[in-house]
Amino acid sequence: MSRITVPIGPQHPLLKEPLSFLVSLEGEKVMDSTLRLGYVHRGIEKLAEQRTYIQNVYLIERICGICSHIHSTTYCQSVEALLKLEVPKRGLYIRMLLCELERIHSHLLWLGVLAKNIGLNTLFMYAWRDREIVLNIMEEISGGRVSHAVNIIGGVRVDLNDKHLSLLQEGLRELTIRVEEILRAIESDRSFRARTRKIGYLSLEDIKRYCVVGPVARASGLDIDIRRDAPYAAYNELSFEVPLMTEGDVWARSILRILETIQAIRLCTQIIHNLPDGPVSVSAPRKVPSGEVVSRAEAPRGEVFYYLRSDGSQKPARLKVRTPTLTTLITLPGQLKNMQLADVSAVIAGVDLCIACGDR
Amino acid sequence: MDNMNLLGLLFRIFIFPGFFFLLIAALFLHWLDRKLIARFQGRIGPPWYQPLADLVKLFAKEDILPSGTNLFFAALLPLISFASVLTASFYLPIAIQSAPSFQGDFIVLMFLLSLPSLMYFLAGWVTQGVYSVIGGNRSLLQYFSYEVLFLLAMSGTAIASGSWSLADIRLAQIKESPYIFPQIVGFLFSLAGLIGKLKREPYDIPKAKSEVIAGALTEFSGKKLALWYLTIQLQTVVGLSFLIHCFFSGFWQMSTFSGFIVFLLLLVILQGMLSAISAIYARLRIDQLVYLNWYIFIPLTLLHNVYILLK
Amino acid sequence: MNNILLKIRSFFYLLPNIVEVLFSKPETIDYPAVSNKLSASYRGSIRIISENCVGCGLCVRDCPAQALALEKESKHSFRLIHYRDHCASCGQCEMSCKFNSIYLDNSYKEASADRKDFFKVLVDNTNKK
Repeated sequence: MSRITVPIGPQHPLLKEPLSFLVSLEGEKVMDSTLRLGYVHRGIEKLAEQRTYIQNVYLIERICGICSHIHSTTYCQSVEALLKLEVPKRGLYIRMLLCELERIHSHLLWLGVLAKNIGLNTLFMYAWRDREIVLNIMEEISGGRVSHAVNIIGGVRVDLNDKHLSLLQEGLRELTIRVEEILRAIESDRSFRARTRKIGYLSLEDIKRYCVVGPVARASGLDIDIRRDAPYAAYNELSFEVPLMTEGDVWARSILRILETIQAIRLCTQIIHNLPDGPVSVSAPRKVPSGEVVSRAEAPRGEVFYYLRSDGSQKPARLKVRTPTLTTLITLPGQLKNMQLADVSAVIAGVDLCIACGDR
Repeated sequence: MDNMNLLGLLFRIFIFPGFFFLLIAALFLHWLDRKLIARFQGRIGPPWYQPLADLVKLFAKEDILPSGTNLFFAALLPLISFASVLTASFYLPIAIQSAPSFQGDFIVLMFLLSLPSLMYFLAGWVTQGVYSVIGGNRSLLQYFSYEVLFLLAMSGTAIASGSWSLADIRLAQIKESPYIFPQIVGFLFSLAGLIGKLKREPYDIPKAKSEVIAGALTEFSGKKLALWYLTIQLQTVVGLSFLIHCFFSGFWQMSTFSGFIVFLLLLVILQGMLSAISAIYARLRIDQLVYLNWYIFIPLTLLHNVYILLK
Repeated sequence: MNNILLKIRSFFYLLPNIVEVLFSKPETIDYPAVSNKLSASYRGSIRIISENCVGCGLCVRDCPAQALALEKESKHSFRLIHYRDHCASCGQCEMSCKFNSIYLDNSYKEASADRKDFFKVLVDNTNKK
């Protein structure tokens, strides 16, 4: 039987961001696939060396369009560590609130993309409809739906008032009901199950070999979460569970992400109930003393890792960003092997790629 | 042939129940489908003129095909499928009888309705794109599973009436009762077959967007694409009318106004069922589809037909 | 009992949901006809209170997108220019301004095919002496 090569990407309805797959098929079966990235490389790490620390907050935020807040949080953490700044508690809580809201938004967005890729448009619309609640809250708090520009070095620049809190409470209550309904739907709906079970399997060994992090690792049974293992901001003051599954397929990843969404909603509720009083930020000097620092945070897709070196000037000497997408990306050719062409869409959607994060 | 007769014939072919009526019905059902699915998903949905606007826009667009395509066949294939669906509509009594029924027109109709699927497969081969070829292959694979199901499930009505003529099937239903009640299983399975024929979700494997872009039609554009879309929309009307004729036609008198209204109502209800089915299921994989059809649906249909035979 | 019902429902799980949604209000709006309500805190266009502006250039220094430019002739004679095509609406200028002169409101301008629309002189003090 002769092989045909199907190009998936850089432009393809299945991909939301440019990435190129060359899938070689025997009939409907995928025999081999090669991966090519770099279509959205913008040279942000280099560019960061030419901007001041303040300007970089906004530059870093534009690494990713979905998890923008977590990137700027990690960056600000590293600069604050170099400056030895103590961020006020209220500022940290508002930072965490936006991190968790962003996690809800990212996971619901992801579920929509997966549902769309397997042809379940209704679930796609429902997930994105419910995501709209979070986006509206974030717009009300920060002034932007995805680019929040909330973080500044030394804290946050918005404060929550009573109107925000009541909006949050109402929105989170509504969201709890809707997300639980979505969880029930993807747990029991047979057509969803048929298209996601036993697809894109990754064993625990594979996860460890490729250093995969985030929900993909947790769906295969690797218990890892920076929020709990190395708490940043004020996560050690909150109580939450880290959901864990062992099936390691796309179905497990979807259930796990929705469970995480429910946990994130719980965290948000805790944050607004325990919100401390006081200022939200401290003023930071423009020049950063020389030194190097590493900062980590748990993005919706896994661990984000920042390395920052300063030479005592207004601009960083080196900024290195390691995003979770790159490690999940290299597992894809292995996951795709011996799958059917129809499953390629489910597998690629299932690992939740953020190509813009990966390429930077 | 006198003039009145000729005029009447032309009226039947072009206005009612011929081309013009079919076109209106097809565009309306297509709009209804999109509107319903949008409302099921919590969206507003398109305005009533959207299908017509799409069609006009496509007809006005430039017609591009990749080099190396056999232009003659690329133009011929949509025409053949369009013509076969229109011919099918001529044999099918849509509210009024336009052509005399004869023994075996049931089979002719089946054949005419299955032609577009074959043309679809050939279209994939003619345009030579990699997605088109995969889409065409998939449509052929799918063809072998749903076509058998559709024929078997529909032939339950022919068995019960003891004739392969559409008029006899109708007369038998008026004499006894509409076949929908005794043959509800057959009706549901023929609906499943029809969904496969129309390549709607969850049987939209040949044109699965996230896998093969638009399947065999990926490389088509302009007038030819418009003709393909129109064919599929017309096929929806004709296929649903076929189902209504075979399962519901005891409900009304032929060639009366009230009968026409009942017919339209049934058309809308069945389209609603199709839309709901599209909205709630994920797309099947080709192996799941073949398994479902050959291991579950077709054996059940066979049992159902045996039961009808013995009754 | 509930389990059995769920088993049956799992064959057409979303059916009750779509019926429920069909009879409720749509979530989307008919956009150009119905305008989209932006929240009051939305970061949109840049506005300026030109009386407050002293031409210090703090906003220009901190702008991450280099969307602001200051053409200074003397201490009291300057022009502050905003390039809307560069602007990321981040609001850093509002943070940097020490004189409450520059701020963002929730209005926004739609896209334009004319290059002139992307260029706006916010403060012009060159004629006054």
